[in-house]
Amino acid sequence: MMNFLKVNWVKQSIQLLKHELKRGELTIVVLAIVLGVASVFSLAGFSGKIKQALLHESTSFIAADRVLQSSRKLVLHPSSKQPDGLSRVQIDNKSQQLNIKQAEKVLMSSMVFAGDVMALVEIQAVSSAYPLRGELLVSDSVDSTRVSAVNAPDLGSVYIEEKLLSVLGVTIGDVIDIGESRFTIKAIAKQIPDASFSVFTSGVKIIINVADLDKTQLVQPGSRLTYKYLFSGDTDDIEALTTWLKPKLNESQRWHDIQSKQSPLANALNRAEKYLSLASLLGIILAAVAVSVASRRYAQRHQSSVGVYKAMGASLSHIRKLYYLHWSMLSLFSILIGLLSGYILAQLGFYAIQDYLPVQLSTGSENGASTLGLVSLGFYPLVIAIFTGVLCSFAFAITPLKELVSTSPLVVIRGAQQTSSSQQLSIRISQFLIPLLALLFLLFIFSGDIFLSFSLLIGGIAVSVLLLIIGRLLMKVTRNIGTKAGASWHLALANLQRRAKENSVQLVSFTIAIKLLLMIIVIKSALLSEWQAQLPEQTPNLFLVNMTKNQAAEVDEFAIQQQITAGDIYAVVLGRLTAINDDKITKKVSKEKTEDNDNGRQGVGRELNLTWRENLPKENTIVEGQWWQKGSISTNQAQVSIEQTLAKRLNIKIGDNLTFQLGSEVIKVPVTSIRKVNWQSMQPNFYMIFHPQVLADYPASYISSIYLPVNKKIQLQQFLSTYPTIIVIDVDEMILQLRKVIEQVSKAVEFILVLVVFAGCLVLVAQVQASMEEREREIAILKTIGAKGSLLRNSILLEFVALGGIAGLMASVAMELTVYLLQRFLFNMETSFHAEYWLLGILSGAIFVGIVGLLSCWRLLNMSSVTLIRRTM
Amino acid sequence: MLEDKQLTLLQDISLTVAKGQTIAIVGSSGSGKTTLLSILAGLDLPSQGEVYLKNKPLHKLNEEQRSQVRAEHVGFIFQQFLLISSLTALENVMLPAELANDDNAKQLALDLLAQVGLSERANHFPAQLSGGEQQRVAIARAFISKPDVLFADEPTGNLDKKTSTYIADLLFELNTKYDTTLVLVTHDLTLAQRCQRRIEMQGGQLVNGPIPSDISKEQCGTETTHIEVTE
Repeated sequence: MMNFLKVNWVKQSIQLLKHELKRGELTIVVLAIVLGVASVFSLAGFSGKIKQALLHESTSFIAADRVLQSSRKLVLHPSSKQPDGLSRVQIDNKSQQLNIKQAEKVLMSSMVFAGDVMALVEIQAVSSAYPLRGELLVSDSVDSTRVSAVNAPDLGSVYIEEKLLSVLGVTIGDVIDIGESRFTIKAIAKQIPDASFSVFTSGVKIIINVADLDKTQLVQPGSRLTYKYLFSGDTDDIEALTTWLKPKLNESQRWHDIQSKQSPLANALNRAEKYLSLASLLGIILAAVAVSVASRRYAQRHQSSVGVYKAMGASLSHIRKLYYLHWSMLSLFSILIGLLSGYILAQLGFYAIQDYLPVQLSTGSENGASTLGLVSLGFYPLVIAIFTGVLCSFAFAITPLKELVSTSPLVVIRGAQQTSSSQQLSIRISQFLIPLLALLFLLFIFSGDIFLSFSLLIGGIAVSVLLLIIGRLLMKVTRNIGTKAGASWHLALANLQRRAKENSVQLVSFTIAIKLLLMIIVIKSALLSEWQAQLPEQTPNLFLVNMTKNQAAEVDEFAIQQQITAGDIYAVVLGRLTAINDDKITKKVSKEKTEDNDNGRQGVGRELNLTWRENLPKENTIVEGQWWQKGSISTNQAQVSIEQTLAKRLNIKIGDNLTFQLGSEVIKVPVTSIRKVNWQSMQPNFYMIFHPQVLADYPASYISSIYLPVNKKIQLQQFLSTYPTIIVIDVDEMILQLRKVIEQVSKAVEFILVLVVFAGCLVLVAQVQASMEEREREIAILKTIGAKGSLLRNSILLEFVALGGIAGLMASVAMELTVYLLQRFLFNMETSFHAEYWLLGILSGAIFVGIVGLLSCWRLLNMSSVTLIRRTM
Repeated sequence: MLEDKQLTLLQDISLTVAKGQTIAIVGSSGSGKTTLLSILAGLDLPSQGEVYLKNKPLHKLNEEQRSQVRAEHVGFIFQQFLLISSLTALENVMLPAELANDDNAKQLALDLLAQVGLSERANHFPAQLSGGEQQRVAIARAFISKPDVLFADEPTGNLDKKTSTYIADLLFELNTKYDTTLVLVTHDLTLAQRCQRRIEMQGGQLVNGPIPSDISKEQCGTETTHIEVTE
């Protein structure tokens, strides 16, 4: 080792590193690599943890990490008919092997009795480990607000929803009959973690222990039950279970997590995840640009030294070893600093959002935080950050480094790199090819999607070339304007035009940085406002189901009296779709099955909730055909509108005739429109909406939604006590939970935005620094010929302001285009125009680049002419 | 002749420089002085013709081999001093000796720094030295490997008159002491006049006699630094 350190090139390399670090010559290179590594480490670590924590938090909505749902009970052992199918024993063994916890839940509708009084309820039979995620909260008295988290009730006892107490006229401690068995009411269920939002379920819920289910004798051949098998464990183990289990699923079994559920939360989470990934990608691109810019400057700065070494007779291998070792040490140093900074940044991030994320989730391990309260970022972010650092350091710097090493010794005489035009072309190609391939590789690693990575890259290149051309044109235009402006502007714009080639590259970097920043800000606010819009103030928090027409009218009146917001009233008629264009549909096809079976057409497989409306509901849009016009009501035309996914699944087109069985009657109606429905809206949604004339005379039940402030709950309870048949579904708790998660997602998104903005700013600084040598010479000349300090200061400021302004303008155009594409295709959101951000782009570009430029040149501006001349010689 | 964008920079040049001789190449800007110096020193190659340095055919050697020749036989002094900014004055002077793996590099460098009067500045970095001091370091660096030929490109071009005279004195003193062949390119006629030979260039050609009558071709044997550039 000691001998190695004594080797000339090693000594010179270390000497060079020490000297340049001390004198701050490597600040920009180091910062660029540090920035890359730090952003990747903190973004990957932070967003990974946030995603994990949010998912963890939101898993309470399904009471598990994954759920296996089936309409049939799992067989104990694999049958000879289906040797590949799932069996209870197999699942138990696999779960045990992977250290995964299990719970079970069986859902069914049934009548319960309290003496002579009866009510239809949804029975939820749960195993003792339920819930695996989230909390089942119960209260042991009607008036108490104190709740406690529990698991399954003891054998022979039940938890019931509060509403049932008044319906059955019972209280805690009383006895009710379910099927053939008798249960004691132990507590009131205040919050059931996986209570789905559906106004069409049987409503009031009763929780019993699954071990009591057989005693009730409710499960008979042909009973309609839903079996849910719940699983929770470490992410990797759950993934392993998923991989093992998925291929074994049959048509009646579904495997889902929170994100595969159609809910506003799943939607928010999916988008947040995409946003976080996108932000990480942009952070990497910015870092790569910074390394690329800084390494070019590094190579230029060392050209004359390499020339001197060569003139003195140093061999190519000596120079290569000297500089490659120097760059490697520099990279290693920067990567280490980057890892440290990234770790600190992520910790600060966790600290900043600790109030919004559940404590045990933000700690990163089951055991909680370390003694210092620091969060472990995990192995993957560490590896990926080091890998990114190494790739950025070398792939983005290899061409400038190779150019540097092959510098002709002639630079000592001529002062500039001498390369033949053919060499220049090959260098130019490799200059772009290697970093682009590296970038493609990085994008692929981060997105896992080669198509997306390739599209981003090709799109990026096309935009850059276009920007280059537009930038040159704009600089030309401003030059012409400059001739008519004052001295400072004149000089500034003349400089801008004179260095058009270098400035175009700088302009493209500025533009890309500003564009990425604008993009991330615009998408963030679009996401946040959409999330907010999904759950606006006064979102209905109560659904009243199972009302008669008269009751619905009285509820409406009550709402007006109490000055509470009532939603639309929907009539519901149960009916079965029996034929499409006279083709009878097959008896029963599960929802999940997509391939044709037997003969005849595929159907829905269950009774549908049908409704009629005069106007198109709010969260619906017509994608094909036409909604009935108001005037057409009197024409008594029978027609139906169908939801688009169902239409697609059943291959129903406009003009097809659908036959429905409503009780003993059969009706036949043509399809006149196909609708897109926002299933995420907290509103009743329907597959089939009829023209009012068709169903108006059929017996229907009614659904209404209202927003009930807490202080009006008592009035409602009093009002409803006279209508025991009305079922109330309270979604207040669910809305609160949703709001909380959305707030957490928003905070995560904002933190990541700050990191990306920081990355973008550093690219701008690196780019300004890259032009310093050239400017130093110019300032020296101008000072020598007697230019005043104020003229120099103003011209430099204005040159950067113009450069930043033009970059801001181009960035805004590019941002608008990209955001349109992203909203349309990646986030599936409504697209919009963002004029206000154009102004922000131009102003922030001009101000930021102007200030950074002036500050960077400040030291030069204050130097005496003699010092400047000496420095530039 | 050099071809660069179809431009002929040098032509019909035949020049032989004897060992220990001092020769000044003068001429107006763009006359080809610097190009000639680059070719003579093996920094660049002619597109046609032959160049010999210590009987080594530079025109046939590749970049690496020419580097080796420079390491063994050539020293440089530049107008812009071109010291390595990360190395101290001492380390800059040591550099050529270290590249030639001379174990005695440090002592030699200290001696030379003493000779140029910069012993006390040995551990200063170039940025801490004045222009004249930097050029003195450059001169010390040029002589450390005891080169057969020293090429100087406008060695006093960036210095004031007084410093120029001091640097020129130093250059010629060391040149005599180490018996080095000196080829210098200069605009400074006073400096040029101190050389034994002066050749003038115009439009890429020599305009006065390339070989003075007192040096015959035969004398350009192994003891002669024979540089010939012919088309």
